[in-house]
Amino acid sequence: MIRRSRTIALAIFALVAGIPALWADPNFTAMLAKIDELNNFPTDFSAVASIVSEKPGEDPNVIQAQMFRRDRDKKFLILILAPDVQRGQGYLEVDNNLWFYDPQSREFSHSSLKENFQSSDAKNSDFNRTSLAKDYTVTSWKEGTLGVYPVYILDLKGTNDEVTYPYMRLWIRKDLGIVLKSEDYSLSKRLMRSAYYPNYVKVGEQYIPSRMLFIDELDKGNKTQLTLRDPSVAALPDYIFTKPYLERVNR
Amino acid sequence: MKSILIAFRNLNRQKKRSFLLGGAIAFGIFIIIVIDGFTGSFVQNIGDNFSHLFAGHIFVGGIEKTQSGRQVEIIRDGKVLTDAVAESKIPAKYLTKSSGFRGTLIFQNNSVMQQVVGTDWNDSSYLRDRLVLKAGSFQNMKNPEGLIISDKVAKKLNVQVGDTVLAQLRTATGQANVGEFQIAAISYDPGFFGSIAAYATIQHVNELVNIPPQEYQTLGIFLDSFQQTDPAATKLYDTLAKKVSMFKREPPSSQSQNPMQALMKQAKDESWQGTRYRLFTLNDILNSFHLPQIVAAINTAGLVILLILFVIIMVGITNTFRMIMFERTKEIGTMRALGMQRKNVRNLFLLEALFLSLGGAIAGLVAAAIVMGGLHLIYWGTSTPLFLFLKEGHMTFSLSPLQVIGYIILVALLTLLAAYFPARSAAKLNPAAALGATR
Repeated sequence: MIRRSRTIALAIFALVAGIPALWADPNFTAMLAKIDELNNFPTDFSAVASIVSEKPGEDPNVIQAQMFRRDRDKKFLILILAPDVQRGQGYLEVDNNLWFYDPQSREFSHSSLKENFQSSDAKNSDFNRTSLAKDYTVTSWKEGTLGVYPVYILDLKGTNDEVTYPYMRLWIRKDLGIVLKSEDYSLSKRLMRSAYYPNYVKVGEQYIPSRMLFIDELDKGNKTQLTLRDPSVAALPDYIFTKPYLERVNR
Repeated sequence: MKSILIAFRNLNRQKKRSFLLGGAIAFGIFIIIVIDGFTGSFVQNIGDNFSHLFAGHIFVGGIEKTQSGRQVEIIRDGKVLTDAVAESKIPAKYLTKSSGFRGTLIFQNNSVMQQVVGTDWNDSSYLRDRLVLKAGSFQNMKNPEGLIISDKVAKKLNVQVGDTVLAQLRTATGQANVGEFQIAAISYDPGFFGSIAAYATIQHVNELVNIPPQEYQTLGIFLDSFQQTDPAATKLYDTLAKKVSMFKREPPSSQSQNPMQALMKQAKDESWQGTRYRLFTLNDILNSFHLPQIVAAINTAGLVILLILFVIIMVGITNTFRMIMFERTKEIGTMRALGMQRKNVRNLFLLEALFLSLGGAIAGLVAAAIVMGGLHLIYWGTSTPLFLFLKEGHMTFSLSPLQVIGYIILVALLTLLAAYFPARSAAKLNPAAALGATR
């Protein structure tokens, strides 16, 4: 009888002790850090990007660009290849400055990662590494599904008042920890932009979205699709991430 | 004295010819005086009109730099600035406080980039005076979300008074934000610079750019007149520099830079703690629109027109005086035979030319004064694209007396030069041969 009582007591203790572990929140900081880690390349990275922007009543605007990244040194270069009228324009991030080069005027001007890329709905920062773990904190979460994938749906708030979007909502695939969808909100908590990441490609040890769809939720009907091809982690020469290179390729 | 009387008599003898030559000179003077008169008041009028659109002649803005290097435009302690204005004793008529942003206004599927200036509408008579409304009223600005846009922007957005537009913008620290505005009024588009800004209430703009209600971004100082801008700016700068940290007002480091760009470069390159202030003037802004260069180009074009006209007129004068010489060969021979010296003959011709030029110049000045006076009387309205170049709807002309005297001297010298060679030939005539001439 005593043994039976002891067994029941042990079983109840084990159950009670296990409940917090069962109900504990997943470690979201680690989850955001993993997203950053998957998206940030320890090696050099290059790919060709196609950006198709659509606005109601206008023909789609198609831009082709070669992108180069060296995340460890916080450098990147986007060189526009087409159309001809924009060919040779480039965005170069070095020394925490983002420069825009215009081959017509042969001048560099300051730009910002927060600016839209060439009047599209993609931001310059969409081509760059992410720092979600540093810039955001999770304020609430829930589980759900997106398509066929079980996901965590996280509400994020900026940790400082300089992040582009003060609030974000992320749909993170449970098994791989990759972002499938995000919603960007303004300071007044109005939905500004939705982004979908339906396809990923594994390059080395990293996952990078090979197709992204950005939808402008304010200016209805505006959307941009960004597709990456020929991804590579081969080492890039140092001179690529320099102003003279941008000038030289335009000669 | 006798030569003067003879010169007058000679001019009077050929009234038609003198009238035509003098008329050509008068036309040249008329053109240059009207062009110069207009450009003389051009900068002045644009300055006055811009002072109202920009809410001041002198502006002071505060900038903080965050750890990440971002510049935040904000004036937290406005008292130190207003105290400095009082202490500097500049002729400040009144002060304006404003905040603003450059963002995208969106209505249905239309969008337009626009500078939005937030100001206190209880104290914005300068805007009420200058903005001419096409639809809506200033009363609608009692709504904190009210917005006044120009006709051109309204057309682009396809909005009417009462419609609600979205504004997509960045806060002072660069965060994305979205707000709503209700169209309170639509103003006439004052031409080239018409879409320069839309006007809202400071409380709503502060809310959107995320700065506290009592703070603002720019202090505007209205002076008694536009001409006082530069000396007053120097005085105020010296007073402010003793009280707060200021950006230097240095000449641009390169020709491609304007004063505004030079100030921005300093803010970008330098690091500091707390708030650093920059002082800039309407002249700095107008310089960035290359207005002094535009005025110089118009004046140069006027001078070139004058010179071309006078080359043509000089050829006419030379030919006419050569003809006069042939006509008066016998007369010259007689005068020479009676003892008139060669230089007197030459001077007689030159005096005729001088009187012709002075008469023509005076006629040109009178004609220019009549035309400028007539143009000034016409009320062009404030809804015309010329609005920025006018003073309260009227064309104005401003000329410096020295400039006018300079033109008269130039015309006189050119006429004398044109007449000099025929005069010299007349003086060299052999009296005996001249007396025997058939004409």
